[in-house]
Amino acid sequence: MKLMASIKKEILLLFSDKVGLSIMFLMPLLLVFIITIIQDSVYKMVNENKVSLIISNQDKGVEGDKLIQLLAASGLFELHEKNELQSQELKDYLLDENQLTALYIPLNFSEKLEEKATQISTTLAFELGISETEQNVPEVALPNLDFYHDPVLQENYSFSITNVIGSFLNVVENELMIESIYAEVGIEKSPDNFKEKIMGNKVVINRIPAKNDEHMINPNSTQHNVPAWTIFAMFFMVVSLGSNIVKERVNGSFLRLKTMPTNYIHILSAKMMVYMMVAVLQFTLIFSIGMTVFPLIGLPKLVLPSAFAAFIVMMLMCSMSAVSYAMMIGALSKTQEQSNGIGAISIIIFAALGGIWVPTFVMPEYLQIISNFSPMHWCLEGFYILFLKGGSWSQLFPVIGFLFIFIAVCQFTSYTKLKLEKLI
Amino acid sequence: MSTLVYIEIDSISKRYKKATVESLSDVSFSMNVGQTIGVLGPNGAGKTTLISILCGLIEPTKGSVLYSQENGNPISGVDLKKIIGFVPQEYAFYHELTPVQNMNYFGSLYNLSKDEIKEKTNSLLSILGLAHVANKKINTFSGGMKRKVNLAIGLIHNPSVLFLDEPTVGVDVQSKLSIIAFLKGLKDQGTTIIYTSHHLSEAEDFCDEILLISKGEIVANGPTKKLIEENKSSDLQSLFIKMTEAE
Repeated sequence: MKLMASIKKEILLLFSDKVGLSIMFLMPLLLVFIITIIQDSVYKMVNENKVSLIISNQDKGVEGDKLIQLLAASGLFELHEKNELQSQELKDYLLDENQLTALYIPLNFSEKLEEKATQISTTLAFELGISETEQNVPEVALPNLDFYHDPVLQENYSFSITNVIGSFLNVVENELMIESIYAEVGIEKSPDNFKEKIMGNKVVINRIPAKNDEHMINPNSTQHNVPAWTIFAMFFMVVSLGSNIVKERVNGSFLRLKTMPTNYIHILSAKMMVYMMVAVLQFTLIFSIGMTVFPLIGLPKLVLPSAFAAFIVMMLMCSMSAVSYAMMIGALSKTQEQSNGIGAISIIIFAALGGIWVPTFVMPEYLQIISNFSPMHWCLEGFYILFLKGGSWSQLFPVIGFLFIFIAVCQFTSYTKLKLEKLI
Repeated sequence: MSTLVYIEIDSISKRYKKATVESLSDVSFSMNVGQTIGVLGPNGAGKTTLISILCGLIEPTKGSVLYSQENGNPISGVDLKKIIGFVPQEYAFYHELTPVQNMNYFGSLYNLSKDEIKEKTNSLLSILGLAHVANKKINTFSGGMKRKVNLAIGLIHNPSVLFLDEPTVGVDVQSKLSIIAFLKGLKDQGTTIIYTSHHLSEAEDFCDEILLISKGEIVANGPTKKLIEENKSSDLQSLFIKMTEAE
């Protein structure tokens, strides 16, 4: 009866805390929607959408056109030819029109490529003994292509685009080289099938995501963001539960309870149970939206892992970690302002270190080591194992082990602090 | 429920950790059931420490507190907690809830039935003039109304001994008079009351006996009128100044 009364009291207090409820439910919903939509757009831009590329081709020969044809045929680019623009004008146009990328092919592009091919084929013919005298071919400087990009474009993204253009440029150069070698040995035109064999015989690189369950779907923005922001939201309960505990400590309620025929276990258990329920509700709400609403607005659907029991255990471990951390902050803080401030800032730091915003593998090595101290890192790691790798119980043990230690430390610290204050 | 008849405080002292002096030093007195004792003294004299020891919130460094029944059997632990009521100086309740919700919660901790809680809540809130705001959130209340809620919660289980730490501090005259009138009613019903206050005239009017503490030691103890006469003082205030200055 005492436990039920305490639970009822906690629920009433929770419902009276409108700000806390908003932070625990509305904020994560907004975050998960906004961040998933943004990341999904980026994902689509990189993987599905064509890259808009403005081209100014000043080349008088055929090689510039060949390059453009190859770029167009690749299906990776949406080309806009602006041949009337010179290099500097192309840059200005890109800036004025708020475009992302532009390519300038210079006047002597074909001429220089052909000269280079001739130089190499002549040298090759002499070295192979086909030609008896090495003609004195002057050193040829290859032409430069100017690739302009918006400075906001990520370095790795612009680097990828230049690599793609570079690989098509190689095709043009190789084809020219083959023709030049044939010409050197006196054959007017290289046989098409030979050229095809050389140009088309490329080693294929298979891209295979490493996962344990082959039926798992490939990683996408939903599979990352839904668990990540749910974990973030759960830990943000520190604002509500932390200040709830500070209030009871500071206003004398804990002292009054100590004069009554009750046990602190009832009071603290009631808090834990109610906030565990809150965390489970957060999970249910955000995951349900990921599964039902996301597909309706064009986002990838959240697919639950097949290891459902492990998923439930992870959910409960994360919930308990969040509740225990909030209780510890509530027990250690002297005022509500302190609890809210320290609680919120520490959660943001934990989130940043834990890989909620950017994956930990892109962090410097020392930050990756520090990230091991963030409970959110372990929570997220657990969900990655289940959601992205189709992992097993044995892979989850280190995660569960760390979270268990984290919970124990938080609970012990809270108990010790309240005991030292003679509140329990 | 155990019937309390006697409280004996035997040579209790209290020194807090890192403190250089004792907050209470060798304090002894006894009380019979139904008595009202006013624990008076300047700020920092040790009044709250004494009350905290008496209601079991903190342990004395030495000495003992004995609560006993008519047959001499001691009362302690949960049995003791069931018969004492504590009204701290702070508003020790949930401001986001209503008086009724607070009374329901604290009443449940005494294992009172729903009907008992309802009956007692209605009665207390009505006597204290809070019936019209019984279902309103306390964070909209005035200081005086909050004091009354604080008091009502301490009385939800009909305690035999009531500890009141500054029950009228920071409230207007009307609320103060109403609270004192209510406490006098409790006294007439036989509740033992241990009360601290800075309002000396209020204490003189309300208490059977006073316990004057200064710097952790008892400087005067006995029936109020007798002490005033013995010390040739005109009233409790002049006695208070005389005794605490002498210290």
